[in-house]
Amino acid sequence: MAIEGDVGSGLIAIGAGLAVGLTGLGAGMAEKDVGAAAVGAITEDPSIFGKAMIFMVLPETIVIFGLVIAIMGIFVM
Amino acid sequence: MFGRRNGKKGNYAYTVARVKAKKSLLMSEEDYSKMLMMTVPEISRYISETGYSKEMTDLAGRLSGLDLLEHATYLNMAKVFGSILSSSTGELHDMVSAYLGKWDIWNLKVILRGKSYGLDAEGIREDLVPAGSLSAESLDKLISLDTEEDIIANFGKMTHVSISTEAMSAYKADGNLGMIEDFLDKVQYERLIQSIDPSSRPSRLFLDYVKEEVDIKNFETILKLKAEGIHGEQVMKYLIAGGRRIDDRLLTLLANAESIESVMSEVSQFEFYEEIKDALESNNLRDAVAGLKKYKIQKAKKFSHLYPLSVVPVIDYMIHKENEVRNIRIIARGTESGLGRETIKELLVI
Repeated sequence: MAIEGDVGSGLIAIGAGLAVGLTGLGAGMAEKDVGAAAVGAITEDPSIFGKAMIFMVLPETIVIFGLVIAIMGIFVM
Repeated sequence: MFGRRNGKKGNYAYTVARVKAKKSLLMSEEDYSKMLMMTVPEISRYISETGYSKEMTDLAGRLSGLDLLEHATYLNMAKVFGSILSSSTGELHDMVSAYLGKWDIWNLKVILRGKSYGLDAEGIREDLVPAGSLSAESLDKLISLDTEEDIIANFGKMTHVSISTEAMSAYKADGNLGMIEDFLDKVQYERLIQSIDPSSRPSRLFLDYVKEEVDIKNFETILKLKAEGIHGEQVMKYLIAGGRRIDDRLLTLLANAESIESVMSEVSQFEFYEEIKDALESNNLRDAVAGLKKYKIQKAKKFSHLYPLSVVPVIDYMIHKENEVRNIRIIARGTESGLGRETIKELLVI
């Protein structure tokens, strides 16, 4: 199977993949501790579920930055 | 890559979040002030509303008054420590378990004392605090044994603590448990220090903290014995090796001194000196001991803020919980025996 397209768009695709992949890993590492702590805190006091959930998803913002960079790479550059 | 070395790393985030949530429910200075104004039944009702309700209800059928309050607080503490131990994993679990080993020693002492005074199994069981690594079944097995020698031998098999032949022969000679108890007190810290492997940062912190505790314990022993006019070799017998800042040379110096005043230049260099300065100057042993306890609690608090994801916040919580139980008991006992509010307040460590 022949691969179409130039080297530049290939590099952009790799960059976009790295941006999403690496930020995903980073968010995962951050969420590991935040999640464990949130579950621990909820075990003691279930009423703080909402607050714990907000802290839990905060590291997800890192992936959104990665996604934005990836989209910019593919569609804008 | 993610710090999972052979799955041995503990679940620090989970356990620390749990103990921090538990710590927020501990009693405050205001609670103690309120309790100081109450009678024993009122104190019992008050603590039922602040976290001890289940134990108070469970024991209310069998016990009443001061007995109910004391047993319920100890039972609650044992349950809380047990839940921390069961929810922690890896090296964190090992460290918490090693720290709680002191309650195994405590229980052994209760069983030995109970047996020597001829208490029945039920009476001994009521005074146990099953917060250590020995299960209720193991403790029952120890209680069911007839002689003190058997109990000590079986305890040794369960926990790998062997009593020195010197202490054993002293006990056999005059039937006095004192030597065995002193030996157990010493061995508990020495074993704890030996059991910590200082290869990782969290365990090094824990080791530092335990050594600091040994220093405080030794200094407290020295102060108490000095107040009784005992010095020299007699004092050295009761001291625990392996402190952090007070090494063997300093221990010998302090033990051999005629009085604390004569070694003030050495004592003034200790970190806890500021806390006990006034008490030492006025020769007030009670205030000095309370000052040392206060220093220990402050130190644990400081350590736990500096290193939030380590074993120290967990130990910090356990110290605070023990202190809360002790304070409740002091207030209840003091009130029952008619001590003045101010006197009771001075005895509390807040």
